[in-house]
Amino acid sequence: MRVRFWGVRGSLPVPGARTERYGGNTSCVEVTSAAGTRIIIDGGTGIRRLGKELMRSEFESGKGQAHILVSHTHWDHIQGLPFFAPFYREGNRLFVYARQRDDQNLRSVFASQADAPFFPVSFQSTRANVSFRELHDGAKFEIEDVRVATTRLNHPHIATAYCVAADGARVAYISDTAPFSDILFGQEFLSGPSSSRARPGKADKARLTSMSAAVVRLCEGADLVIYDTMFTAEEYRQFPHFGHSRPSDAIAVAGKAEAKRLALFHHAPDRSDAEVDAMLAGARSQGAREAKRLDIIAAFEGLDLLLGQV
Amino acid sequence: MDVTFWGVRGSIPSPGPATVRYGGNTACVSLRLGDGGIIIIDCGTGARNLGIALLAAEFGKGEGRATVLLSHAHWDHIQGFPFFGPFYVPGNHFTIVGGSQGSDLLERVLERQMAAQFFPVQSYRNMGARIEMHALSEAGEVRVGRARISAHANPHGPTQALAFRVEEDGKALAYASDVGYGEGGPADAAIRLYRGADLLIHDCTFTPEDHALRVTRGLASLDDAVEAALRAQAKRLALFHYDQDYSDHDVDGLVLRGRRLLDERGGAGIEILGAAEGLSLAL
Repeated sequence: MRVRFWGVRGSLPVPGARTERYGGNTSCVEVTSAAGTRIIIDGGTGIRRLGKELMRSEFESGKGQAHILVSHTHWDHIQGLPFFAPFYREGNRLFVYARQRDDQNLRSVFASQADAPFFPVSFQSTRANVSFRELHDGAKFEIEDVRVATTRLNHPHIATAYCVAADGARVAYISDTAPFSDILFGQEFLSGPSSSRARPGKADKARLTSMSAAVVRLCEGADLVIYDTMFTAEEYRQFPHFGHSRPSDAIAVAGKAEAKRLALFHHAPDRSDAEVDAMLAGARSQGAREAKRLDIIAAFEGLDLLLGQV
Repeated sequence: MDVTFWGVRGSIPSPGPATVRYGGNTACVSLRLGDGGIIIIDCGTGARNLGIALLAAEFGKGEGRATVLLSHAHWDHIQGFPFFGPFYVPGNHFTIVGGSQGSDLLERVLERQMAAQFFPVQSYRNMGARIEMHALSEAGEVRVGRARISAHANPHGPTQALAFRVEEDGKALAYASDVGYGEGGPADAAIRLYRGADLLIHDCTFTPEDHALRVTRGLASLDDAVEAALRAQAKRLALFHYDQDYSDHDVDGLVLRGRRLLDERGGAGIEILGAAEGLSLAL
């Protein structure tokens, strides 16, 4: 299996010299099995360049097929989709997966991104054959030779974690999520860290504990865990209500799951290359104490990893 | 008045080593007026860095006031809204001035961008600052301090985008992003709006060759920008809204070629430059 990072940033794309090495595009990871099954996790701005590359293959002649697993529909995970060239070529088959909502079906969430007055090309006029699959929490399914497992994450409006298995390797994608301790996120808006609504009672604590256990199970023995580490410890203290984790949270989960490698991911827009370096160094020294066998890296645009049989 | 560019790119931000000099953020320009007033034109991702700069002064204390001119609501002109820090400081006061379709539409645009499925804040009313909407018609005018703002709706593919003129103390700035003029070139009303501008910031998404393949996109070529500057007798032309795939080297090429075109067509007196993130100009 081959894993490629096309966008590693959270919140919004951040061009400029400060982010040149790790990259400024928002979340997008490509996973391709040895048999050629193509999975794309999230459609942040990174998916634009992936689309351009795909148009140099069978997608150009309308014979491409890809499966897009969407963690959640916050902008930084979908804003590249209108610029994903394979959508505009007749014959391509694209399957979009995301968590089912009570209020709105998935097709309409995605279609509304391309509505006037926001975008000049309506979703109806995309030429590819696009189908949507709405997922329940914990759904497990197969895509050709690839097995996909999911579990719910702790994020405003709820996000989905994926584990993609093929070729004897497994990669888990845990973004976006808060730690499973201080706040149980749901549909409501939290205006600040001390919002009284946010403090978990006994029942909420139990739900967070089982959510956390399910995430650890999803990562069990994974070759690679890609984890939302948007915040430093200090930033988390200020913004626990934003729904993002610290490297220490990722190390705890990946360590408990005895995963082989952890990729810090969803870097904050303010984080310069030097600051990501520093965050990685800090995470490695913590890892050396608490999860000795865990290899820790920081995801960057263009990072290409081969896992299992290739 | 002073003009600063915070985002100069069209369509979608394009981070990476190839865009570091001109910048990869989408459209956002700020003006500081002679009396200290602040006008922001468009709110692409460049607005995030503008917000960080503004928070250092009165906007950080909830004492800021600014007018935001919105050319149209395509993503690359509004996607910085949710990340504009001063919107989150209670006490700040913003007036958003946009198209003639009405203030309801402006409000709907902001609300939909903030909707729960897309952004955790869920409503612009949760942001903290006071945000008001004002629809500007073609005949209308808005005043900010001593400055007068007027607009013209340019064709932009299947829709329209407002071009703006901001005039204060005898100095004029014109901003025309996202315009596809069609066969006859700029309308007379557009030229009137740009007339004699000390700085004309003009859409220059494409080279003439790339433009010929993408006419229906409703965006301008280098030729269009040069022609607008010549006809309007602008003093200075800033190329703007570059295609997301153009590298710094490509934009250098646009500027050089634009210089040559101006010289050839009797515009040797018109200064030309490529708008770049962080560039400030005094008018």
